[in-house]
Amino acid sequence: MPLEEVTPRIRTFISESFLDGDPGGELTESTPLLEWEVLNSMNSALLLNFLREELRVDVPLSSITAANFRDIAAISKLVSSLMTVPAEGV
Amino acid sequence: MSLHQLVIDAAARRPDALAASGPAGSLTYGELDAAADAIAATLGRQGVRRGDRVVVWAAKSPETVAAMQAVLRLGAAYVPVDGGSPVARVAAIARDCAARVVVTDRARIPRISGELGPDVRCEELDAPRDPAPAVHVATAPDDLAYILYTSGSTGAPKGVCLTHENARAFVDWAHDLLMPGEDDRFANHAPFAFDLSVLDLYVAFRAGASVHLIPPELSFAPARLVEFLHAERISIWYSVPSALAVMMRYGGLLDRPAPQTLHTVLFAGEPFPIAGLRDLAGWTGARMMNLYGPTETNVCTFHEVTKVDLERDRPVPIGIAASGDRVWALRDGGGIAASGEVGELVVDGPTVMPGYWGHPPQRGPYHTGDLVRVLPDGAFDYLGRRDQMVKIRGHRVELGEVEAILENHVDVAEAAAVAVGEGADTRLVAFVAPRSGRDLGVLAVRRHLVAHLPRYMVADEVRIVSPLPRNGNGKIDRLALKACADGVERTVHEPGS
Repeated sequence: MPLEEVTPRIRTFISESFLDGDPGGELTESTPLLEWEVLNSMNSALLLNFLREELRVDVPLSSITAANFRDIAAISKLVSSLMTVPAEGV
Repeated sequence: MSLHQLVIDAAARRPDALAASGPAGSLTYGELDAAADAIAATLGRQGVRRGDRVVVWAAKSPETVAAMQAVLRLGAAYVPVDGGSPVARVAAIARDCAARVVVTDRARIPRISGELGPDVRCEELDAPRDPAPAVHVATAPDDLAYILYTSGSTGAPKGVCLTHENARAFVDWAHDLLMPGEDDRFANHAPFAFDLSVLDLYVAFRAGASVHLIPPELSFAPARLVEFLHAERISIWYSVPSALAVMMRYGGLLDRPAPQTLHTVLFAGEPFPIAGLRDLAGWTGARMMNLYGPTETNVCTFHEVTKVDLERDRPVPIGIAASGDRVWALRDGGGIAASGEVGELVVDGPTVMPGYWGHPPQRGPYHTGDLVRVLPDGAFDYLGRRDQMVKIRGHRVELGEVEAILENHVDVAEAAAVAVGEGADTRLVAFVAPRSGRDLGVLAVRRHLVAHLPRYMVADEVRIVSPLPRNGNGKIDRLALKACADGVERTVHEPGS
């Protein structure tokens, strides 16, 4: 899946799951998700689950870093790069 | 005996043994001792004297531990502030305790220096330093060792003062209970500003063992916390139950066999839901203990988990008196509660603080505000709070303080914070009503909270509601908000609707 398709899906998931739908439309690709505590331990686990179930991407432990999860742009880039490696069952 | 003597003694005994290890490096006891003296020499030149306060605002690292040791060696008290805390809060704490110096990483100095008064200096934690001769200022048992700032009901944080005697009474008791060896490897999960860290650091130092600092950035990734436990070959783990619950639920803790090294699991700060504790006990044969005590008293009761406890349908008891303290339950109408009765837990003894910074001294027994039931064997079951204070992942949070910060936002007309759920699932939900004609978004509120509060007080969820629901008396209807936050009822009814 190309980056331009990955990004909106991740944005929609974060907005609907953690930001009450983001009624003000403030969420951008560079919103600092870790710094603003949008991704805490529970939410990051839910996001990883979404990536696994919906986008068929299993993020390896070594890639679960603050740099890779700091904002939507970084997460999308990571997910896209992992998608280029064919995952089982895809 | 002083708190800092523990490192001095361990350094004399085992200079080459590992003392503290962090993500960016580690220090042996000899190196920790030398680093503490070198930092103490610099702080001494900055004018730090016995009885002063020094704020230590830095990411967790062995050097941060050395800075805390340095402050103690000068006879001063350190005031640890979590590296993730916002500048505004650090400045407020430094002002409140009239700190002489703020020790912090080089990158943070430009952010904080303009916020401090002209008499407060900044000291760079990571500056290169020349070796310095040993610094030993004599301290008395009732000299302050550290001040821990906790959430205050009046809207401002309050500083819990702890003396060397307070700290040593707890550390010596915990050491004798656990009897750790020199090969033990303690995990440090709690931030240094949280009293759980006192056990990790100082019981390890008393034993000449090592402490392994968990970087806070791992807290968002439970699977990496689990990896840390294995990779660092941890033998003694101490955290809030929520951390273990998150590791079990989201980190795959139970999917791998427990590390052979792990022999003791301690938890404190909140009740451990019994189902989760059963799962943990089925995974590890480690000794497990529930430690209890507010910051003001440190650990004042404890209970070792037994097989019988795991068959109960409620959390394990908080147990019996610890640390040389006396504890009892005071009935509502006065008098000591007997077996089966409920009362407020009261503590007296060597770990009870002398008071809050800048407030009149605490005299006599400390009333915890926690309700307990007296069990037939004299131990206590924890029942809940008498007041509005809530626990979020083991951290105490005064809802009034969160609300005061929310209402400081220029676009906020009124706000309310509620806690919903139980145990590790407790969530802090903020409801905010914007001023009329103002646009206010969820992320703007979140950014405001992060700029003024420590991480653990930032709401898990923010909802914009206008206006807030009111009950018949015209007060904010907190029950309706809780029901809404709980998902029982997703729509808040507006007055008159």
